[in-house]
Amino acid sequence: MNLRRRQLLQGLGLGVGAGLGVFSRERSALAGAPAAPSRIVFYVQPHGHIPNAWNMAIPGGPADQFAERSLLDLDAADLSPTLRPLYGYRDRLLAIEGLSHTSALADIAAVTRAGTGDLNNHQIGVADVLTGSRALQRTGTYCSGGARTLDQELAMRTAGPGRFDSRVYGFDYIPNSVVSPFSYLGPGQATPMVSDPNAAFSDLLGYAIPAPATTSRADLLRSLRPSVLDAVGREYDLLAPKLGAEGRQKLEQHRALVRELEVSLGSAGPMARCDATFDNTATSVRQFMSLIRLALACDLTRVVTFSAPVPQCPELGYPADATFHGYAHQSILGNTSCGQMYSPLAEQAMTDLDAWHAGHVAYLLQQLDSVSEGAGTLLDHTVVVWVTELATPTHQHFDICTLLAGGCNGYFNTGRYVRYPRTLPTPLPNQPLIGPAHNRLHVSLMQAMGQPDTTFGMTDAVAADGTALSLRGPLTELQRQP
Amino acid sequence: MGVAVVSLVVALAAGCDAGESGSPAPYAVAADAGIAVGPAPLRRLSDGEYLNALHDLFPGVLPLLPDLPPDVPVAGFDNAAEAQLPSDVLIARYEAIANLYAAALAADTDAVHGLVGCADWSSPALATSCATQFVSQTGGRLFRRTLTGDERERFVTRFQGWQQAVDFEGAVQLTLSSMLQSPQFIYRVEPVPAGSPGSVASVEAYAMATRLSFFLWESVPDDVLLAAASRDELRTEGQLRAQATRMLADDRARRVFWSFPRQWLGLDRILLDEHSVRTPEVDPGWTAASQASASEETELFVENLITQGGHLSDLLTSRRAWVNGEMARIYGLPAPGDPTAWTEVSLPPAERSGLLTRASFLAAFSHRGATSPPVRGNGIQLRLLCQMPISPPPGVDLSQPMAAPGEGPQTNRMLFETRTKPAACQGCHGALNGFGFGLENYNAAGEYQTTDDGLPVDAAGTISGTDVDRPFNGGIALSAALARSSVVHGCATQELLRYALGRAPVAVERPTVAALTSDFTRSGGDIRALLTDIAASPTFRQRVVEEN
Repeated sequence: MNLRRRQLLQGLGLGVGAGLGVFSRERSALAGAPAAPSRIVFYVQPHGHIPNAWNMAIPGGPADQFAERSLLDLDAADLSPTLRPLYGYRDRLLAIEGLSHTSALADIAAVTRAGTGDLNNHQIGVADVLTGSRALQRTGTYCSGGARTLDQELAMRTAGPGRFDSRVYGFDYIPNSVVSPFSYLGPGQATPMVSDPNAAFSDLLGYAIPAPATTSRADLLRSLRPSVLDAVGREYDLLAPKLGAEGRQKLEQHRALVRELEVSLGSAGPMARCDATFDNTATSVRQFMSLIRLALACDLTRVVTFSAPVPQCPELGYPADATFHGYAHQSILGNTSCGQMYSPLAEQAMTDLDAWHAGHVAYLLQQLDSVSEGAGTLLDHTVVVWVTELATPTHQHFDICTLLAGGCNGYFNTGRYVRYPRTLPTPLPNQPLIGPAHNRLHVSLMQAMGQPDTTFGMTDAVAADGTALSLRGPLTELQRQP
Repeated sequence: MGVAVVSLVVALAAGCDAGESGSPAPYAVAADAGIAVGPAPLRRLSDGEYLNALHDLFPGVLPLLPDLPPDVPVAGFDNAAEAQLPSDVLIARYEAIANLYAAALAADTDAVHGLVGCADWSSPALATSCATQFVSQTGGRLFRRTLTGDERERFVTRFQGWQQAVDFEGAVQLTLSSMLQSPQFIYRVEPVPAGSPGSVASVEAYAMATRLSFFLWESVPDDVLLAAASRDELRTEGQLRAQATRMLADDRARRVFWSFPRQWLGLDRILLDEHSVRTPEVDPGWTAASQASASEETELFVENLITQGGHLSDLLTSRRAWVNGEMARIYGLPAPGDPTAWTEVSLPPAERSGLLTRASFLAAFSHRGATSPPVRGNGIQLRLLCQMPISPPPGVDLSQPMAAPGEGPQTNRMLFETRTKPAACQGCHGALNGFGFGLENYNAAGEYQTTDDGLPVDAAGTISGTDVDRPFNGGIALSAALARSSVVHGCATQELLRYALGRAPVAVERPTVAALTSDFTRSGGDIRALLTDIAASPTFRQRVVEEN
């Protein structure tokens, strides 16, 4: 199927890997794949972190070079306030200080130079965090994700019969349509997100069809679902060639997904071999954490993105008439173009919000660690990536705090707090020096998932002083050395 | 097509700057007799259109359905062709819904007889004839045209296979499910017209029936439209005007009367979670029921006004309102006998006028604990004037300004004046505040107020960036001025064309937008006339001949 489609695209003059990557769903087998497949979970937290509460000191570590410290010998109180809830998993953590959303900074610089487009640091950050690419500017409306996101690229690469490409769970960010979602299938095409845990559970169970032994008429009809999908797929096959290129591409994409559903229904799903129970009485965030465990343990997908909610203030003991969005802008000491507005209460509120998220991440790690798999646990074969679209709640895009957890089949060298030096010039004029691009973290994650790529998203940028900036290659310091 | 595709690739690689045309994809654009026609991207049914279509095709059949993944809105509209890439969730939901509908229909003997068009399939010959009848009849309704011989044969062959595996009714069910998942139903496939590539031709007759019905009814064509298509009578401007006039008199047109203003002006913003709460200082009586009532009041207002021939200016200035007990409370009217019934009233002339002075707008563009004049101003600029506001620069304080302890009473306006006083802020806030300050007579729940923090409200504002720029005082004067603005009429025209075409009008269509705007303004903002004008316009009834 893929070969045929690729031939078709090439026949159209559209090489796979050209700018139309959005329509190509190239897959590659994991070279020398380990017994347990590698999985990846993105926990995307809105609004950035408070570096003062997240960062940790590295005694004796130089500021102008890569530095690290072990987390294994520390007491809980030695961890920073944000990371403290994760203490129980310190041997599985890889905390990374100092990366930069370099592609976002380059985008902001380019939009500023062009003098047209949606130039909001927050929206560009949302569009950038998982794409590592310039935002899509659209006539008369706000900008949006400009490329397929890392989770969806990995979803395409790791998909297979009987599995969902990915699952995207979670909640709308700020509840309005101005701020875009985090995960994109392609430019401007948000990946559908499921916000109701019960619907998410039904989706996972939906890949099970009755065994042929049952003979009731209803079961017989259900067992013919693949046959119906086969007929449907043929309609797409036959209609698509009659259309112009744009319509043909849309129908091709649709047909590929129909075929995948057909194949998935026809395969004996792995559900029988894993624990498919689901407790729908916990909080919805916790329900999603256990659904992620279920989906990965049963190998119903290898990629999950969770878009974390922003809670109401009273949930964390703050007044009902306040909002975390309001606190965000007041949470960092410093001047802004409309004056000084720092408030210690706001900093505390955003710190507490960070710790609230850390608690959810810890619960997710506990869920994954509870599944025995091969010689270890599911967590050993997974990497959980805790990222946020801003470095700070005040829309800064450098000095980012990033947390990886889980070894991803031994790719990452965990149990450490690492710091990258800020020695690179930045694309924006009159701004402090920055650390390496997060695009390079994306490359590391691609490689951890068995992909050969050496770049992701933007590959090169230019600093305001004219220096060429490379966004290429993995962050080798994160890897376990052989 | 190769060249155009390459240009898309380049555009993406360059970060897709919003160029002059804003054309999102490699569509062809062509001109005929001086009238330029924009691209015609393949359109999928929006969630709303898909559900309306099922409702209209199978009235009374109401299976419990899983949610479709929400359409990705572009500029507030949920039918943008550029944002309709399929996903595995969408395909799985289409399958589930098709199976649920097909099962519900096949479970009812009368419904099966109606779908099949015959009642006796007891012999193999009769079964074949009934299967053919079923595929032609039901397939024709679902695919909105006569099936080709090839299509009919495919579906009948499948039908017979399924009949052998299950039974006749089972084959009806499975065939129906397959048709509901087929591209002929889910997509609005238009045949590429004959002609030399790059030239302009009329949209094929059945495709035109579908264009009209999804534009004016958000649903499938009726038998009258399909019959007109079969006679090729959806070609001339006159024929299209006659059909549009007929369709706008039908109840199904109420869908566009609400759907378009709702999406254009963001009228369902009031339903966002954050508006389920107001602080007690703003309104101790506000509950989720107030939020729902404010939304319903607006829907009744807009839909009734347009159904009864109302003009754009009426939406901005009419004091007609339909209120229940909760809205009567918010508008300071006497409590009605039955608080749950909706009754038509005339709102107080000194306090209220159209949409901009209604709770749904005023509260939806406020925060929980206070109004935000810039947010209200932003709403007016973006929605009503089609002016893309510049986003706040990085690092500015977007929190609600509050009086410091011991400073004494200050109105919300005074707090915002202080906050936005720096010159760096005034570039945008001069205009934003100019609109928003004029609405300070309405609190964050949309209730009328003459004092704020014990001080008298100052509702003096300034309109800027329009053809009706002027100082004004209060929401009624603001509404009256904007109701006469050609900028507002031009914005409505451009956005209705966006809604009709499933894409933003492109640069070559500016003359068409200008001509439609001019007629719309001359008609005094007659919305039904604008709908008819667009339905009959060259850009709606013609398409570019693409190279296949």
